[in-house]
Amino acid sequence: MKKFFADIKKFKGYVAYATRAELKAEVAGSFLSWVWWILDPLLYMLVYSFIAILVFRSGEPYFPVFVFIGLNCWQFFAKSVKASVKLVASKRAVVTKVYIPKHLLVLEKLGVFAFKMLVSFGLTVIFMIAYRVPVNFNVLWVIPLLLLLFMVTYAVCLFLMHFGVFIEDLANIINVVLQLGFYVSGIFYSIENRISGYSVLLAKILVNVNPQALIITDMRTALMGSGEIHYIALAVWFLVATAVVWVATNVIYKYENSYVKIA
Amino acid sequence: MSDIAISVKDVKIRYRYLQKMSLKSLLRFKKPKKVKYFEAVKGVSFEVEKGSILGIVGKNGSGKSTLLRAIAGIFCADEGVIDLHGNNVSLLSIGVGFNSALSGRENIYLSGMLLGFDKKQIDEKLEEIIEFSELGEFIDRPVRSYSSGMHSKLAFSITAVLETEIMLIDEVLSVGDAKFKKKSYEKMKNLISDKNRTVIIVSHNADTLRKLCDHILWIHEGNMKMLGTTEEVLPLYEQFMS
Repeated sequence: MKKFFADIKKFKGYVAYATRAELKAEVAGSFLSWVWWILDPLLYMLVYSFIAILVFRSGEPYFPVFVFIGLNCWQFFAKSVKASVKLVASKRAVVTKVYIPKHLLVLEKLGVFAFKMLVSFGLTVIFMIAYRVPVNFNVLWVIPLLLLLFMVTYAVCLFLMHFGVFIEDLANIINVVLQLGFYVSGIFYSIENRISGYSVLLAKILVNVNPQALIITDMRTALMGSGEIHYIALAVWFLVATAVVWVATNVIYKYENSYVKIA
Repeated sequence: MSDIAISVKDVKIRYRYLQKMSLKSLLRFKKPKKVKYFEAVKGVSFEVEKGSILGIVGKNGSGKSTLLRAIAGIFCADEGVIDLHGNNVSLLSIGVGFNSALSGRENIYLSGMLLGFDKKQIDEKLEEIIEFSELGEFIDRPVRSYSSGMHSKLAFSITAVLETEIMLIDEVLSVGDAKFKKKSYEKMKNLISDKNRTVIIVSHNADTLRKLCDHILWIHEGNMKMLGTTEEVLPLYEQFMS
């Protein structure tokens, strides 16, 4: 871990600059430029709201805000996970020419998606004001929840980056798993309201076992002021994510010099 | 006794033909095929004194670039020890980390930081890099709009101007047009003639090596064939290759 923090200190300038550079490069050639950072989540929210309200007749209060919160958290996780599977291959031009601790490649990628998520949350706040969503002291939970979301995503991405080097079709598997995750994480419905109708126990399991469902549910509680924060489950997942980050970082340090040697 | 800048002792480097596993083979619990190894460097030892210039020669595929990348820390030796005695090192690679959508100026920062320099150090050298690259107003245009010559000029300027204590150079002494080639060669000569800088050059160009190097290491099929002064080794190598 000493090496981990020393590397973060040494390369923090590069990670920050590379993150900014990637964001800038993404919009450099596009007509609407940075407007896409706002349009992208907005359009997704409209699509899912349309499907949920008209097709599934979902009736959650302040529904666009409700969907927005779920989508923001999920998109950050899903996009980061997808990108991390092929990360070493996509950075081959860098990793074959200079030594860079490979876990920093994940950090750089997460920085890009975290920025976009924060833009989306800015938009969520505007929607909350427009819809006059009541807010209480629970709103302070947003910061620890974002931190947990980052840690969980970082932990998953580190492992996937490592195994993505060795397992050819990992990207295909991950796409299917993410699709499943999208539907079971309660992005455009409330797990506690919908599933409790069938089984309260099942609803509890779905929220507590899946960190994405837990974070999304509690993020809505924090921002929309109804329900209770799952303090214990959040603390447990934070410890789990920290432990996984620690293990994954050590695994990467052990094997990262082999990444370049794979024929 | 002279200071030693680089010690390489019994270094062996193997490439693993780690064939990627597929989901199918994982689900069938098939015993993975025995991993095949290719030993690119087979027990090489040498030392380089501080301020000296070592040339590495050998036919294609003899392990020169692999050895250079191990010294640069891009990957570890499988056996043996590489000790840089606390010096910082850079492999002079063309265009490390370039993002073609960004301007030349932005890529100077990106590439420089990847080579281990901080923003302040790059700020200090920025004008020198831009001037050396001869890109003029193109420096603020996206790199994807550059010709290959302009791309090489910028890349060379970054790595040549941002100096490290140990420089590893892999066949990049001549880039750009004839005028820039001459200029880059002179710059290289100035850089490596600095007595505080230790340099290892991998090249097939005997004339370049003869002019620049104090010692030559000849590697043949991963083994050390000869190590000595340029006058001793180079004629024998040229004879061998002719």
